[in-house]
Amino acid sequence: MKFIAIVGTNAKQSYNRKLLQFMKKHFESKAEIELLEITEVPMFNQSDNQSYGEVIQRINDKIIACDGVIMATPEYNHSIPSGLKSLIEWLSFDLHPLAGKPVMIVGASLGTQGSSRAQLHLRQILDAPGVEANVMPGYEFLLGRANTAFDDAGNLNNEGTVDFLEICFLRFLRFAKIANQLNEEEEFSFKPGEYDVNAIGHSGNLPMKVSFSEKRIESIKIDTKGETEGIADVVFVRIPDKILEGQTLNVDALSGASETSNGVIDGVAKAVKLAGVNPDILKRRPKPASSRIREDEEYTCDVVVVGGGGAGLSAAATVLQNGCSAIVLEKYPAVGGNTIRSGGPVNAADPKWQMGFEENPGERHTIEALLSTDEREIHSEYLEDFRALKEEFAAYQNKFGAQKGHLFDSPLLHRIQTYFGGKRTDLNGSTIYGQYDLVKILTDRALESVNWLEEIGVEYDKSIVFAPVGALWRRGHKPVKSYGTAFILALTKYVEEHAGKIITDSPAKEFIIEKGEIKGVIATGVNGQKITIHAKAVVLASGGFGANTKMLKEYNTYWSHIDDDIRTTNSYAMTGDGIQLGKTVGAALTGMGFTQMMPVADPETGELFSGLQVPPENFVIVNREGKRFINEFSGRDVLTKAAIDQGGLFYLIADDEIKKTAANTSQEKIDHQVEAGTLFRADTLEELAVKAGMDPASLKATVEKYNSYVDQGFDPEFHKDTFSLKVEKAPFYATPRKPAVHHTMGGLKIDTNACVLDENGQPIKNLYAAGEVAGGIHAGNRLGGNALTDIFTFGRIAGKTAVDNIK
Amino acid sequence: MKYLAIVGTNSEVSTNRMLLQFMQKHFSPEAEIEVYEIKELPAFMEPEDSEVPEKVAELSDKILKADGVIIATPEYDHAIPAVLKSALEWISYTSQALTDKPVLIVGASHGTLGSSRAQAHLRQILDSPELAARIMPSSEFLLGKSQSAFDSSGNLIYPDKVSELDEIFREFVLFTDITSKLLKEKVLNKKVKKYTWQEQEDKLQ
Repeated sequence: MKFIAIVGTNAKQSYNRKLLQFMKKHFESKAEIELLEITEVPMFNQSDNQSYGEVIQRINDKIIACDGVIMATPEYNHSIPSGLKSLIEWLSFDLHPLAGKPVMIVGASLGTQGSSRAQLHLRQILDAPGVEANVMPGYEFLLGRANTAFDDAGNLNNEGTVDFLEICFLRFLRFAKIANQLNEEEEFSFKPGEYDVNAIGHSGNLPMKVSFSEKRIESIKIDTKGETEGIADVVFVRIPDKILEGQTLNVDALSGASETSNGVIDGVAKAVKLAGVNPDILKRRPKPASSRIREDEEYTCDVVVVGGGGAGLSAAATVLQNGCSAIVLEKYPAVGGNTIRSGGPVNAADPKWQMGFEENPGERHTIEALLSTDEREIHSEYLEDFRALKEEFAAYQNKFGAQKGHLFDSPLLHRIQTYFGGKRTDLNGSTIYGQYDLVKILTDRALESVNWLEEIGVEYDKSIVFAPVGALWRRGHKPVKSYGTAFILALTKYVEEHAGKIITDSPAKEFIIEKGEIKGVIATGVNGQKITIHAKAVVLASGGFGANTKMLKEYNTYWSHIDDDIRTTNSYAMTGDGIQLGKTVGAALTGMGFTQMMPVADPETGELFSGLQVPPENFVIVNREGKRFINEFSGRDVLTKAAIDQGGLFYLIADDEIKKTAANTSQEKIDHQVEAGTLFRADTLEELAVKAGMDPASLKATVEKYNSYVDQGFDPEFHKDTFSLKVEKAPFYATPRKPAVHHTMGGLKIDTNACVLDENGQPIKNLYAAGEVAGGIHAGNRLGGNALTDIFTFGRIAGKTAVDNIK
Repeated sequence: MKYLAIVGTNSEVSTNRMLLQFMQKHFSPEAEIEVYEIKELPAFMEPEDSEVPEKVAELSDKILKADGVIIATPEYDHAIPAVLKSALEWISYTSQALTDKPVLIVGASHGTLGSSRAQAHLRQILDSPELAARIMPSSEFLLGKSQSAFDSSGNLIYPDKVSELDEIFREFVLFTDITSKLLKEKVLNKKVKKYTWQEQEDKLQ
């Protein structure tokens, strides 16, 4: 047998060390004992994980390899020394080499106690979850008066003491042999077959089918209908792969999706149990080999992009198109960021295409109202464009007169709407509006972005022009594939096919700075390894801070109150990492106090695409009493403020015809949600009201009134001016909604080339930013559909500027 | 009253720190509480000379000047964190500043137990002759489920826990008062003794 003997103190002279040295020599013929010192063990600190440093790794490996551990502890203040405790803390944090390991405790002290109290503490400590050592019961060896216990040759000088130590040690030899048998895996065989189980995921039940042969888990199939697309998809592939690879349930949860990850693991555990095997056996197996790779990695490229959402991937694709190399670092297990969660339509004025659509009733009125704004209220940079827009629209009016015309649009209208949309005053009385040069680029180059994406491989459905919620206008180019997935799939494919590298699961931690200049980034890899990427330029495209409530509250100057448990429509990855990174190199921030709430989010999950999301010309918003309280076309913050005044919760009412205009859903999903109780459906409005807890008469009266407004094209109550469908054909639907954090408009200050600026307005060399991480464009409120325009336009610009500056 | 409140961990995120910060604010009308971090103390190691590390001297000084000490401990492996144990080892090895000092133990944990086992260990440790602190008896303050116990302004949101803490703190102020009165009576014939665990005592003998 081979034992590791840990000297439980870092003191230079120690009777405990002497005792172990004696044991090593005395029991030479019975076992090999190797002494291990704790002197080099750093103080445990959970914020500074050194589990994978040389010292702890060496100790970890030795303990794993040995047949048992002997611990000799002195007693400091009635307990074990901090040095020994620190080692045990390291060995119960990320690593667990002591789990199941046979342990013998001995101790020496100067007094008569022989470290008796320290030994009791040590027993309790070694029994804690996470340590789980198998300590030999009884056989307490307490060496009191240790200063007189040894002769000059280091031998214990009392025969009785030596005899007792021998008894204890012989017992430990036997104990270790038997205890180690407990660590051998139990024989088992599965009852072959396929088992149906239900696991609990982030949004409810996850039906799974797990099949077994006699010795192996053969397949894991998960029904993913109930979960959000995006990261959950990765969980459903990655976790089963890891389980199958290692034939183990000792699998790490994916960051950002621990609940769903554990749901899958628990589901498989249930199936293992149904197949007649104790899941604990599989939990005790080692992690799959691919999770144990911890080699540091080093790369060199021209441009490294932090963040694998739409902005980052566009920047990387542009870099590759221009003949340079690019690496994308994504902190989550999958690329997509917030883009993958977006509805899909990209705003871009494309008058030639939009001319193919008839104008809707009320649309001219919207423009007239906009153009009637007093010029004194318009900031001087925008005045010229405002006047030019007036002329454009006058020409349109002249052309069509009272006849029905086509849908009007132009980059100027987009620009002026973005400007008005973003102009807001916060609680301190400061007014903010979109920075003209950035907004001009956004609106002038929007169509170029749409076309560029088409070249990359995004296919659009040109038969319909979309106005996403809060967009104010129908200029949304909607991809054929659902949601933002279309962009991410096409961009990822492009980047990978053009030799770009995407590294997932790896948050960027710091810049590499050489001679005062940014020369790349350092990230932490999936298994904790260090990833060093040397690059000539860094593009920050890591998104905003919508999932960082602390940061939201710290900077907020706009909302009277932000709840601690506020939901977000964003990916949980949006914690402001890029903004924090930028701050480390002196980047200036702009507009940080302004955040946007999405009024139409799921009350429980913050999810955006549950329920029936139809164009505003079709939906009817009612409060909990079944009464309208707002113009459905209102901007997002107006809607949010009104919703908060109504107590937060409200409903979108639709009928069977309106349902067909919902871009976000399918009959299958609708049925699933009705069943889950997150969407209400009924054959009459009265029944619907009862299901949603409203007064039936009120809802009926509200809908009748609304239908009459659609007929007359005029809403005397809330002045909605664009209508399409009435609510008349059963079955009827009510989708519950509540405001959630949707977009953080503030961020790093950039110029028109996407260069990050410092406090003096000077570009920070080799640093670029695009997308939600940057501020200045959307100012106080972002129009629906403009975020995609922003990320694809400024993502491309960031990539191009980076390349130009390299060349 | 002037108290020194020791955060028993070096973790950057700690609900024990939040608990002490809350106490500092909440009890500001009654007492001046200084929240003290131990993360910069060196790991305890018997020094070769009698040199006392600067941070250790600073902590000793603060303890000596305070009317009492509050220690907030998390629970690591059923016991107090090594870093807190190390700080106490420094105190007992050098200044023994905790001797006769009134001490209140509190603790927070993410689970439901509120660091109960660590607190029991800490009592035994503080009661060792080299530390000999005056621990307030029967006054466990165990804050379980600590991650959801504070709102964003750092206020403890469970009203029953706040009133429990109010009661314990009121008692601690009384205990501090009585202890210091008692100690005035104590005959100051204590032998100045240097405690060592291994090496130096051997030499002395």
